[in-house]
Formats: sequence, C-alpha cells, structure tokens
Amino acid sequence: MTDVPFDPLDLAVMGHAVAMIAEEMGTVLERGALSPNIRERRDASSALFDAKGRMVAQAAHIPVHLGAMPESVRAVRARDPEPGDLFILNDPNHGGSHLPDLTMVEAIGHGGDVVGYASVRAHHADVGGMSPGSMPQGATELVQEGLILPPVRLARGAETNHDVLEIILSNVRTGAERRGDLAAQRGACAAGAAGWRALLEREGAARLDAATSALLDYAERRARARLREIGDVAGAAEDMLEGDGASDTPVPLRVALTVCDGALTLDFTGSSPRVRGNVNAPLAVTRSASLFVLRSLLDDDVPTNDGIARPIGIVTPDDCVLNAKWPSAVAAGNVETSQRVTDLLFAAFADAGVPVPAQGQGTMNNITFGGEGWTFYETLGGGQGASAKGPGPSAVHVGMSNTRNTPIESLERSYPIVIDEYAVRRGSGGAGANRGGDGIVRRYHVLERCTVTLLTERRARAPRGAMGGADALAGRNSLNGSPLPAKCRVELQAGDVVAIETPGGGGWGKR
Amino acid sequence: MSASVGIDVGGTFTDLASVGADGRVEARKVLSTPSDQSVGVAASLAALGASGRSVARVAHGTTVVTNLLLERRGARVALCATAGASDLLELRRQDRASLYDLSADHPPPLVPPERVVAVHERRDPRGVTLALTAHEAERVADEIAEIAPEIVVVSLLHAYDDDAHERLLAEAIARRLPGVDVVCGAAVLPEIREYERTATAVAEGYARPRVATYLDHLSRRLAGGGYPAPEVMTSGGGMRTAAEAAVSAASLALSGPAGGVVGAAAVLRAASLDRALTIDIGGTSADAGLILDGEPLVEPGGAVAGVPIALPRVLVETVSAGGGSIAWVDDGGALRVGPRSAGAVPGPVAFGRGGTQPTVTDAHIVLGNLDATRLSGGVQLDVEGARRAVAALADTLGASQERTAEAIVLIADAEMARALRRVSVERGIDPRSCALVAFGGGGPLHACALAGLLGMRTILVPPHAGVLSALGLAIAPERRDAAVSVMRPAAEIDAAWFAHALPALADRAVGSRAAVRHTWHARVRYAGQGHELDVPCAPSDDGAELAARFTHVHRARYGFTLERPVEVVALRVAAMGEPVRVDFSAPLPAESTFTGPRVVTLADATMVVAAGWSARALPIGGWLLERA
Repeated sequence: MTDVPFDPLDLAVMGHAVAMIAEEMGTVLERGALSPNIRERRDASSALFDAKGRMVAQAAHIPVHLGAMPESVRAVRARDPEPGDLFILNDPNHGGSHLPDLTMVEAIGHGGDVVGYASVRAHHADVGGMSPGSMPQGATELVQEGLILPPVRLARGAETNHDVLEIILSNVRTGAERRGDLAAQRGACAAGAAGWRALLEREGAARLDAATSALLDYAERRARARLREIGDVAGAAEDMLEGDGASDTPVPLRVALTVCDGALTLDFTGSSPRVRGNVNAPLAVTRSASLFVLRSLLDDDVPTNDGIARPIGIVTPDDCVLNAKWPSAVAAGNVETSQRVTDLLFAAFADAGVPVPAQGQGTMNNITFGGEGWTFYETLGGGQGASAKGPGPSAVHVGMSNTRNTPIESLERSYPIVIDEYAVRRGSGGAGANRGGDGIVRRYHVLERCTVTLLTERRARAPRGAMGGADALAGRNSLNGSPLPAKCRVELQAGDVVAIETPGGGGWGKR
Repeated sequence: MSASVGIDVGGTFTDLASVGADGRVEARKVLSTPSDQSVGVAASLAALGASGRSVARVAHGTTVVTNLLLERRGARVALCATAGASDLLELRRQDRASLYDLSADHPPPLVPPERVVAVHERRDPRGVTLALTAHEAERVADEIAEIAPEIVVVSLLHAYDDDAHERLLAEAIARRLPGVDVVCGAAVLPEIREYERTATAVAEGYARPRVATYLDHLSRRLAGGGYPAPEVMTSGGGMRTAAEAAVSAASLALSGPAGGVVGAAAVLRAASLDRALTIDIGGTSADAGLILDGEPLVEPGGAVAGVPIALPRVLVETVSAGGGSIAWVDDGGALRVGPRSAGAVPGPVAFGRGGTQPTVTDAHIVLGNLDATRLSGGVQLDVEGARRAVAALADTLGASQERTAEAIVLIADAEMARALRRVSVERGIDPRSCALVAFGGGGPLHACALAGLLGMRTILVPPHAGVLSALGLAIAPERRDAAVSVMRPAAEIDAAWFAHALPALADRAVGSRAAVRHTWHARVRYAGQGHELDVPCAPSDDGAELAARFTHVHRARYGFTLERPVEVVALRVAAMGEPVRVDFSAPLPAESTFTGPRVVTLADATMVVAAGWSARALPIGGWLLERA
C-alpha cells in the first residue's frame, strides 16, 4: 500500500506516459538494430519496470515475449544490481526463454538508488551452438544450442565490461552483426532509463509509485471483470506435439482449467515429462502462452502490464515438458510448444463453454536453407480459426508470432532460390457456419546444392473446428512431390523443389 | 485575376485562405457539409465574396480518395499477375490485423480473387525464364474481357527491372478492350517488392475513374461560378492540375493533411526557423508532422484503409484526439478520451447541434480556455450545456467539475504528445531540438502543455493558425514526380550516368511544362537491407559521392554504419513550379509581449499561454512563445 493517494482521473494520462516510454525503447531498438530479424521482422520486445520489479508497461511487438520479461528482471534483482548496472542474459533457467533471445536489463539509477528497470529482449540471428541460427534440429542438451548467459554485468554505468562482450562475440558466428544489435539494445535500455527518470522527476517518487500501483490494479480489475463475466466454469483439454525434436514420438500436453471468482487456474498436470529433444518449454514460455490467451479475451485497449497476470495461477509438475530445467534443450519450446499451449488453452476454454475461436494453424513453420556462404530463415503464416464473430483470417501468423514475410523479389535477388508458387492454400480452412482461414502454399526451387531444415507442427493432427465446425487441413511438407517429416534436415541438389503447405484454421459452428 | 485560393475541407470546418497578388492573406471559415462537401466549398467562396475573375487558382486538399478507399466505393478493377504469385493481394505481408483480437481481419483486397487473372510468364533476377507469348497475351485479354472491368491493372514479378512483359500485355488488352484504361505496376511505382508495388498500382486503378468523375464535377461547379479548374494537393505536398491528378489518383490518398505541414513550413521559414514538429488539432483528430531544414519531411510509404500506398507523402501521423473527442468512463473505472468523436454533427455539446456527450472542447469551455462569445465559424456557444455534460461525468467519477475538465484535456495532451514523439524519435530527431508549430482550431490551445511534456522550449503560433492548411494549399507550388528503378551498386555508377539519367528523369516529370526547381532523391540501402533511405543527389554527383552521403544519413538516422556495399534501388525526381509568395507582414498588437498565464483570442483560434511561458508578437503575424 502507498501513502500517496492517486487520483483515478490521472490513470489514462499515466498510462500514456509509461506506454510512450516502452514504445520509444522499441523504436530506438528497431532504428539501431543491424539484423533484419530485429529491424524488419521485429522479433523483439521492450518493457519498463519499477523499483520493486513490477512491469509497468510493455510495447506490443511479439506475443511470445508477453509476460516473460518479469522473469528476467527477477533474475537480475537476485544479483544485487547497483544503480546503472546493465545485465545481459539468455539462460532459460535464469530469466531467459530460448538462447537466441538475448535480454538486457538496466538497473535505472537515480540519486544513488535503483529506481526501476528497463528491459529489452531481441531474437539474435546466431548465438553459437551446433548449427547456424542456433535453432538446431536434433539438439538434446541446452549446451548444444548456443552460448548460455546467466545474468551477467555487461556494463557498470558508462563503463562496458569488455571481457564479457568479447566472450559473447567469440562464441557466435556473426560477431559484427551481434555487436551492432547489442549496441542498439543498450541504446534502447538507455532510452527507457532516461524516460523513466524524467517521469520520476516530474511526478515524484511517491506519486509515481502510487500511479504504478493504480495502473496495475486497473489492468487487473479489467482482467478479473472479464473472467467474472465468463463465470465460474471448468474445462479440460489435451493435445500432442508431433515429435520431441529428436524423435517422432508424440508428446502429450494436458491442462485442467478453472475460472472461479475472477481467477484463472491452469493445471498442466498430466503433460509429458521433459523430453530428449528441444521442444521443452521453460516455465516463462508456458506463462507467456497462458497470458496471451487471457490477453486475447480482453479488449484491445487494456494496458499490458503485470496486473493482467495477477489473476492467473499456473501449476506444473516438477518434471514437465512445460517447465523445462537444466540441462534440457529448449529452442523449439519457444516457437512451437508455445503455439501448442495456446491451442490447448483455447480448447480448454471451449470445453468450459466459453466462446473462443477455433484452432488456428498452431505452428510457425520454421524453414532454414543453408548453402555455401549463405543462410536463409523464414516462418510462414497459415489459417486462423473462425469464431462466433466471423470467419478466420487467411494466410496470417497466428498465436505467439507476428513476423512479416520475405518478398519474392527480395528473396530471389539475395539467394539461389526461385519461388515457383506462393499462394493461398484454398479450401484448407475448416468448413462451418464461419469458415476457418486458409493456409499458404510456398514452393522453393533451389538453384544449387544446399540443405533445408524444417521445424514444423500440425502435419499429422489438424487444427480443430469448434462448436460443430469442421477441422482444417493439416500442413504438408514435400520434396519433389514426396512427403517430408514435420521436423527434418535434408540435403538438396540443384533443381529440387521443397513445397510447404501450411495448415488452415478450424471452422466455427455447424453450416 | 490573380488571387490563389486554398480550400481545406475538414470534418468540422471548411477553411479558405486567399493569397492576393500583393501577397496579402484573407481567411474564411464555414461549417463543413459532410453530405455534399462541394456545398461547403461553394459557401466558403461565397463568404470570400471574390468574383470568379479575380481568382487565378483554386487549390484544394481532397479526401475523395481516402473516403472511397475507406468505404470501398472504387472502380471494378481486374488484375493481371504472374502465375504462381497471383494471390499476392490476399497474402499481404502475412502479419495479422490485431495482435490480440483473433477475429480481426484486414479489409478485403480491392480486387477479389475472381477478378485476378494469372499470366503465364516469368522473369527472375537472372532474366526471362518464361517468355510471354502473343498467344498467352491474347488469352489473358480474352479472360479480362469476360470480367468486363472498368479498368485493368497489370503488375508482374520483377517488372521494376524490366517492364517489357507488362507493356506487351497492356497493348494486347488495349487492342481487345478499346476505351478501357490499363495501369501498369512498373509505371506507377518502379520499385522492388511485389506486394507494395502491386497494391499501389491497384489503388491507382481503383481510384482513378472516380477521381476523374469527381474532379470533372467540381470543375463544372467552379466554372459555373466563373472560377478556374481546381488544382489538387498530392500526398507529397505539391499541386497537380485537375487533368494530371485524374491519372495519378493514388498520389492523392493523403492529400488532406499534407497542406497543413506545407503551410507550417512556409511560416516557419518566414520566422527564420528551420526545424519543427507540427501539430494540427481539429475537431475529430490531430495530425503530427515534421519539418527539417525548412521543408516538410516527405517519405514514401503509408497506408490508407489497409491499402499500402508506397508513393512519396508528407509525413503525417494522425491520432484520434481532437476537440470533438468524447470523454467517457470505461468498465475499469478510468476516465478516457476518444477514439469516438462527436465530429461536426452533432459536435461538442457547446455547439448546440444535438451533442450530449462531453468533449475536449466542452472541457476547455468549463476551464475558461475558450471565449464563449467569439468562437470562429459563427458558432454561438452553449456554455451551460458544456458545464452540464462535464458535471454529469464528474458525478460518475466522484470528482469536481473543474478537476474532470482538467483531466479530459490532460488525457488528450498525453495522446498527442505520444504521436509527436513517434514522428520525431523514429527518425532520430530529438524533439527538444525542434520548435513546435501549433495550428488548427485547437493547436494554440494545447501547445504549451504539449511542449511541456516533450521538453520543447519554443512554440510558433502561426498567423492564420486556424486556416493554415488552406494557406498551405494556396501557396504550394505545382509538383510532378517521376521515378525509375536502378538496382545497382553505387560503386559501379559513374559521373556520366548521373549527368545523363537525372536530367532524363526530370524531362519525364515535367513533360511540356517548365519547372523552376528539381530535387532528386536516390533510394539507397546497404546491400541486403530491407529498407531504403532517401538521399538527395544531383546531376553533378557520382556513385562514390552518393555512397558517402548515404553513409552520413545512415549514421544520423540510425547511429551506425556498415562495412557493406551500398546499393541504389531507385531514383526519384520532383519537379517544382513557382511557389505563391505570401506577404506575412502584420501590424504588431498594442501589447506585443507578455507572460503567461493568459488566454488570448486570435482571429481564428484561441491561444493558451501557460505560466512559465512568455509570448512575443511577430512582425509576420502570429506569436512566438518561449519557456522562461
């Protein structure tokens, strides 16, 4: 509790003020970053925290980072940060998600105290490990996936810890690009720190603290109001991942969901123990997916801060694929398991009688080509599930991703690949009173020897319809017309054609 | 026979500014007539009282393209696209419409799938891999004829590089369907990236027939009053004749807001300043813009109603916070302002036109910021009505009427400040290095608060602040643009190329008319980047000089440079005509300097000078406010 009363009339003003700072951090990062993945595809997030480690605002970029960043700040606070200390981390066991996501946290100094934290997470194109891109197919241990960074000090105030920086740059394939991206990330933290200090000076510490409490309470109030509107209900669901990343053995996921008096409890008991491959998800990723599902039930204008997370309780067994611990590999947990968790939760809400959309494509369709001196990575959209409100959108990223495509003309100028077909996969959405969205067909014609690595899901179990709507078509991968597995690495010859057909979204309601 | 008249149709008011042969400015303001905008246009001309013969030029900013895109009332277009990639309008860039609202979808494409014809032809960066045969061109033309379109768009893969196939196909279609206009993608936007190029070309086709009809209608109406044919402001801040505008419809999509920034830049230069953020606050929205080196920032890009239009436009970011924005209490108990607006009808409660919900304007009235007897546009204010509406909201919140009114204004300020920051910070500009030019009916009301939030120390309240957009229209020079794809490393381009290519492009832009000034920009990037920067260039340049200039711009904008080859993607030219000269001189008021707090009623707006600010009347008219 705070001593200074906060006038609720000022809520919207303070909401704008803190959102503006988080947004500006994102702008500084995008403006300064070198790699296309951060600059163009915007695979990055920025958030602002108060001295108590409460997340005051997060800029809306990529859902998979939603609610995961407080873990990073918690991990940093456990290391007694001094004012001005800048930490870097990616260790999934200490505040990280998967290794390519490098997170910086600045302990904002003011008058000799730590008054808040500015945090920026960005997906780096390479952090070492056994294959370029640091999303290795077949990894079974975290150490194979890249350089592991527990929260370590990259700088004390203006003074860079060059030893740490050199260790990082010596362990990655593209050092110059990393150096640039890290500089941009640091600039973004500095912008957040400057903005927070200016707000603190303008408003005073006591009033800012009261405002933060009021903003979090407000978001919580709106989240709980929505849950109360849903009523006291319970539901359950189960789903499977199509292989653990090292073998084709399905990985079962289960959830029991309860909504009671404005609180949401998610019990993942019964889900698979951790697995050998890299589909394990750290708890932070499981929490992000849970938060995303609740967020999607709220109005768009609810501010994104720690308040939304308060009504959610998460239970996972100690040995669980959704609560990955050292030394499990986790690279695919962030990109594919997170998608399956959102499907699972929507299914459980549907089971509880809550009108949520039918399942979307439920995968990000990660595709990496690599040849002599070049690597090309992209993800593909698919169908979104239909809902009571209308048909599911076609050919979009669903769930935890929202990155843009690579234009055919740019791709063909930069890589020895010709796109023979890029089309809507007609009829792949599930039928229903409202049709599910259609997926995408993309055929890559390679002009020289190279390899392709596929990390995809929903190739066997199709996205399901809801309220009597039909299932969508599952996705399909093929090489010169012959099927390829959901997850694989294949050597290609000049003239080979790899075709990816992404899943549609489920239909809604009987036709 | 000499006045240049600018007419800006806004949501609430239709503004007119007339610049006479002597450079003197006259302004008029009438209420807008949303059901038929030309009624308001005619009313504003009638209010000016000038005969048709005394007017040399009528320039206006039109929202006709914006509206037809929003309302999807454009032409029946057929699209010819490369087989295998003909779904590109539906595929967009694969990002979704809303991060969290999973049912939200992008608006449907302007051309539905059944009106897209796949063309069997292909080139890639290495050359033609499937030639377009005469037989295929005729087959496509036949298929188009079946569709019976009003207009046809042809946009093929890699046509920015070589548009031979597009031209062949366009000729075949023209032979098969004489009288039906054909728009080629590479002719509208000769730049790499198939989705943006095709979407822009489709927007051109979609809007062109309706724009032609509208301009014809308007020309007749003006001719009836003895006035000359209208000229139209483009998104890029230049004027086009009606005839030219009718065949560059997509370039009018952001015509409306550009005028204000052009007007602001003219006043800024007259005040001997060169860098500013601009805020134009109207009844329904606020537009934030940026002026660097005395010129509005013009960048390619932007989207209207979900349709990307990758042509040059004056940078303007619009937020839905204006005088008519409605204040309300949400289900979390928070006071909110907008995005709903009372607009022109019913308008704020105080306008007495049927509005019942309190707006930002009503809050200003409660706070005594607006002089009840002298609001422009001939509106008699219902002060009691405004108080009652704000009081009702205050009761819901358990707060006082004054405190509630103050909070409403602060919330609108916070949203506008965010837009101003985005416009500047995204381009590496520190707002504290800029002056704030505040105009529109609400600009001078909010200026001190906005400057305070952004740490800015100088505010320019321009003369004619209430009609600055109309003034911008009246003085904007004619401007024609042309572009060509280059796609070559800068290192390979020599001085001879610049000496030849730039004037050749300028000739294409000007046609038979003379321009007094040309500005060329190269669209440049590091090889492998996905975004280009506009870098000024001249016929006397060579590739090395251009690369060095790009490096400089890149460092200023992004803070770093790369050890990579520099690539020239495209070349653009703007050919500018003679600007209309304005005599800004104005007699100083009796009290030409004072310090805040004070509310001053200007000719067409109200200015709030906050405590801690000093105000000085300028010899050009208007006021300069400085933080003490």
